[in-house]
Parts: sequence; C-alpha cells; structure tokens
Amino acid sequence: MLKGFGNFLLKELKELARDPKILLGMIVVPLIMFPVLGGIMGYAVQTAQEQAIKASLIVVDNDCGNWSSVFIGFLKGLNVTVYVENNTKLDNEKVLELLSRYNTTQILEIPEGFSQNVTVHFSNSNVKASLRFYGVLRGTGVFESVGSSVVDALINQFNRAVAPDILYSEKATVIKGEIKYGVDPATISGLLMSQSIALPITILILLMYAVQIAATSVAMEKEEKTLETLLTLPMDRLAILWGKLSSSIIVAAVGAIAYMAGYSYVLGSAMAGIPVGLNLDLAALGLTPSVFGYLLLGLTLFVTMLSALALAVIMSAFAEDVRSAQSFVSYIYPLIFLPSIALIYLDINTLPFALRLVFYAIPFSHPVIASKAVIMGDYWTVVFGIVYVSAFTLVVMYAASKFFATEKILTAKLKFKGLKRREAKPTEEI
Amino acid sequence: MSTSWAIEASEVTKVFGSIHALDGLSFTVKPGEVYGLIGPNGAGKTTALRIVSTLLLPTSGSVKVFGLDVVQKAAEVRKIISYLPEDAGAYRYLSGWEYLEFMAKFNAQNREEACAMVREAAEISGLGDRLKDKTKAYSKGMKRRLLVARALMLKPKLAILDEPTSGLDVIHSYHVREIIKRYVREHGVTVLLSSHNMLEVEHLCDRVALINKGKLVAEGAPRELKEKFGCTNLEEVFAKVVKIA
Repeated sequence: MLKGFGNFLLKELKELARDPKILLGMIVVPLIMFPVLGGIMGYAVQTAQEQAIKASLIVVDNDCGNWSSVFIGFLKGLNVTVYVENNTKLDNEKVLELLSRYNTTQILEIPEGFSQNVTVHFSNSNVKASLRFYGVLRGTGVFESVGSSVVDALINQFNRAVAPDILYSEKATVIKGEIKYGVDPATISGLLMSQSIALPITILILLMYAVQIAATSVAMEKEEKTLETLLTLPMDRLAILWGKLSSSIIVAAVGAIAYMAGYSYVLGSAMAGIPVGLNLDLAALGLTPSVFGYLLLGLTLFVTMLSALALAVIMSAFAEDVRSAQSFVSYIYPLIFLPSIALIYLDINTLPFALRLVFYAIPFSHPVIASKAVIMGDYWTVVFGIVYVSAFTLVVMYAASKFFATEKILTAKLKFKGLKRREAKPTEEI
Repeated sequence: MSTSWAIEASEVTKVFGSIHALDGLSFTVKPGEVYGLIGPNGAGKTTALRIVSTLLLPTSGSVKVFGLDVVQKAAEVRKIISYLPEDAGAYRYLSGWEYLEFMAKFNAQNREEACAMVREAAEISGLGDRLKDKTKAYSKGMKRRLLVARALMLKPKLAILDEPTSGLDVIHSYHVREIIKRYVREHGVTVLLSSHNMLEVEHLCDRVALINKGKLVAEGAPRELKEKFGCTNLEEVFAKVVKIA
C-alpha cells in the first residue's frame, strides 16, 4: 500500500463530507428530486386512468336491436357516462360534430347487424359482432393510449359476461380533425413515444453538457489565476462572456451529436423489433414536424441553451474553483431533469392550470413542450415558449453582462454559511 | 488634464466589508520611473496595484494613469498598461508560444506586430524550444519568466508588476530583474511594482513607498530612506517604519 494513502484518503473523505455544497448537490437534491419524480409519475398514471374512467363515451347505435340495448345497458352498469345517438351515419364531419357537441374524445359505433351477429354467434362461434372505436389523439403523453385500452377492457368484460370473443373492435384515430381508419390510437402513441423519449433525453444531455462546460470554463480561469490578467487586457468584457458561451455551445453540440448518433443506433435497434405490418408512416399521418416546425424547435432549443449557459456562467462566477462551480450548477440540474423526464410521462395540456404554469415558468421545459407541440401543429405554444425563454435569457444575459463589467466578477463569492452572499475579503494579499 | 505624471493616486480608499484595505493612499510616479510599493502582508499593496490596473474600483479618491482616470477611462487605460498579478497562471493546455500569441493579439494592430511581440517575448523569457511545450509542463520559474515576458513584450507605457520574482530561485530572480531593468532603459517603460524582496526593491526601484495598513508611511529613493532612518539597508528601514507606524 502506498505510504500515507490511508491518511490522505481519510482527509479527502472528511473534506467531502464536510463540504455543504457536496452534501446539497449529491445527497439532498437527489433525495428531493427522485421522490418528486416518482410523485409526478404516480400522478400521471392516476390522472390518465381517472380521465379515461370518468371520460364520457358516445355510443352511436345504428343497430337498435336487442343486443345493442343489452350492451349499452352493460356499459351504463359499469358507471361509464354514455351518450346514445341512434341511427347516425358516421362520416368525418359527423364524428367531429358529435365529439364537439358532447365534449368527449371517444365514440363507439354499434353497426347495423350487431344484434344479428351476436345471436348467430351462439350457434356458430366463427361469427363475431364488431364495434368501431374512434379515439382522438390529442397529445403525445405516455398514457394517451389509456382511453383506447379502457374501451378494450370494457369489451373484454362484456365478452367475459356473455361469451368469449363475441365482440371485437375496429379502431380509428382522429388526428388533427381527420379520421384515419384502421389506425389504433395506442399504436400511434407508442410510435410517438419513441420520438418523445428520444428528444427530451437528447435535450437533457445537451443542456447538461453545455452547463457543465460553461461553468467549468469560467471557474478554470479563476482556479488557474488567468482571469485577473484577462480582465486587464484591452478587450470588451462581454467578449469574455460571449466567448465562454459560444465555446460551450460548440463543444456541447459536438458532444450532443456524438450522443445522438449513439442514441439513434439504440433507437434503430429497438424499432427493428416492430412487426412490419405495424410499420406506420408517421409522416403520412401528418405526425412529423413541418420545416417551419423544425425551425421553431431549433430556435427554442437555441434560446433555451443560451439561457442555461448564461445562468451557469453567472453562477460559476461566484465559485472560487472548478469543484465549487460544478456544485453550484448542480442546483440547475433539477430544473433541467424534472421537466424533461416528467413531460415524457405527461401531456402538459391535461395538467391542472397551476401545474401547467409551473412547467411553463421553467425555461428548460420549453424544448420538450415544443417538440411535442410542433408534432401536433400547435405553433402558438412554441412561439410563446420562444418569446418567454428569450425574455428570460435577456434578463439573465443582462445580469451576466453587468456582472462581468464590474469588479464583482473578481471579488464576489457565494458562501454557504447561511447562504449569505458577500463581497470577498480577498484571500490573498491585499 | 495633467499628463505630467505616469500615475497620480490621490486619497484612495478601498473598503471590503469591514476591512479598510486602503485608507487615503496618495502617491505619484514619474514617466520612465520604477516605483516600488513595499509593506507587510495585508498592507494594501495588491489592492493598490489592482486599482491602478482597473480591476478594482476605489471606494473613494482617484487614480489617473497618464492623465486617464482608471474608473472613467478604464478601457483607454487598459490599452497602455500591462499587469502581472502575483500568482498569475497560464492556460494549461496552450503551449508557451500559443499563450504569447493569444496575449499579443489583444494589443497588436496587425499580424506582423503580433509576431514581432511574440519573438520579443521568446527572447525575454529565454525559454527557447520549451515554448513549444504546453505550459502545464512548466516549472514555477519557467511559468513566471513566460508571464513576465508576456507583460513586457507589449511595450506598455506602464507595467504593473505584483511580486515579479515571486517564488523564483536566485538565478531566475536575477534573470527577471535584469529583464525589467533592460526594458525600462531601452523602451522607457514606467514600472509600478510591489515586492517583499528588499534587495530587489533596492536594486530595481528609483523610488519606493512604504505602506502599512493602507496608508503611505514613508516615500523616497532607497538611498534617501536609508539616510533618513539611519539604516544600512531597506530591510531595516522597513522594520523601523512599520514598527513606528
């Protein structure tokens, strides 16, 4: 064993354990973050299920026979709110009109001949009675397919009560006001999920790379004692700020490209497992962003990145060394992590107003919100995000530029005893 | 606007929280003069140099460099000064040559001028082929020689050197002192320096200011001060003055 190793290791452990920044960043923050994340996921499942159960269902009875009455009665017996429409021919306009009139997202059509097919089934089990389910695809949350699966569950319950496999459902999805026959909302949700996971995670990694690099680069100048010299050079101090921000963006982008390449490989492998028959073309269904959408998304990502970097630079300017800077910026991570991961599981449009406001207020939510909104063609949400994040960035940049223009860049330090910020008594010779 | 002084510090105070780092410090430096600030630890030497080099703002009082106010005309002042902090570092992942190039480009008007500055610095530092190495591989002495060369290659009107031979051995200190002397002689550079090394101060400075607790307690040429206080060297003067103060 190396001489003095044990002694030195003990000293290091003591220093780390006694450093409140390490304690907060490494232990307290995760202890808070993961229960919050767990709570969000639990809430997401609960609300999705509640919504699906509470959701009203329009039943269009074009059969008006005995068995259709029995089926409707069965649904009502399960406490499902059912609005019955008799003898209504369903086309694109009629479906949208009914959905709008009853303010719901699901229609179950009982076609003509339903009762006859059920009756025949008892003598010939090959004959089955079909139902047609129309589900509206509103958002891209993980639990968007819950509505479709609840209807499947209702049909299964009826089958169990009457006869196995007597009923089956044909699915149609209403996407952006158009009915796509033969498309199950659950399948679409599944495919969108693969996209809506890939993007938030990539954004998450990108932001974290950038923040880490920006924070380290400023702290490095302090730690290596090069900042003082730099500040006396005939250069614009904002050039230092922008130089740090730009280099961080470039390096982070390179890192992100490498990461995305690796991630797309993993995603490609996963998609290869999807049966060919289910290989839906999302572009044909209008579920990929337009060029304008991609532009908006890129702009959102850029302003968000700038806001994160400016925040990281200004925070790290209070640090004396690289380690302190990394601890400081770790306080930004929950703000990056939580929206990215939570919005994988949640559709922001289904959240209560207050919670929605919280997500909108966090600038780092917007790339994820935008990535989903552009798919659904909701450009106003994206534009709002860009305006908001730009305003936030401008405020932070203004503060950062003011900060860089004064002696505070050299003297300000954040002390953790009572979290009091004060101007430093310079530790070196005065 | 008077430009007869290279530096004109008048009643300068600097307060950090409850600490008065400078307490009404006044001094003047003539163009082409080497002026030394000496004093015990915590006397306010570094704070004074940082104010002159536009890094810190005085709480009250004023400092002018060649007639330019360091607060109002900070950007102009930065064009004519060169500051060497006491424990300055170089960028670890740049070679010595790259570091000098990086620094030269801030002051040079064109590429040729920058190249000339770097060649000059290479000669001053005496680092030779080692300039091709990354600075993280440099010893403390090599790094200091690089930084002194950086500060002087710009041929500034005012060089502000905080402990220029800090941490250097006898040979390297001698080398750095000779560089400074030669530069002042050849290029008429004004130098404001601080040092703990009395031999260095005596050897280099035309005039010195002894400061204690942020105040100027004695000022004059080293020989004058020795005579005035009846001492054989500046170290004795220093001890006597600080004790009296």
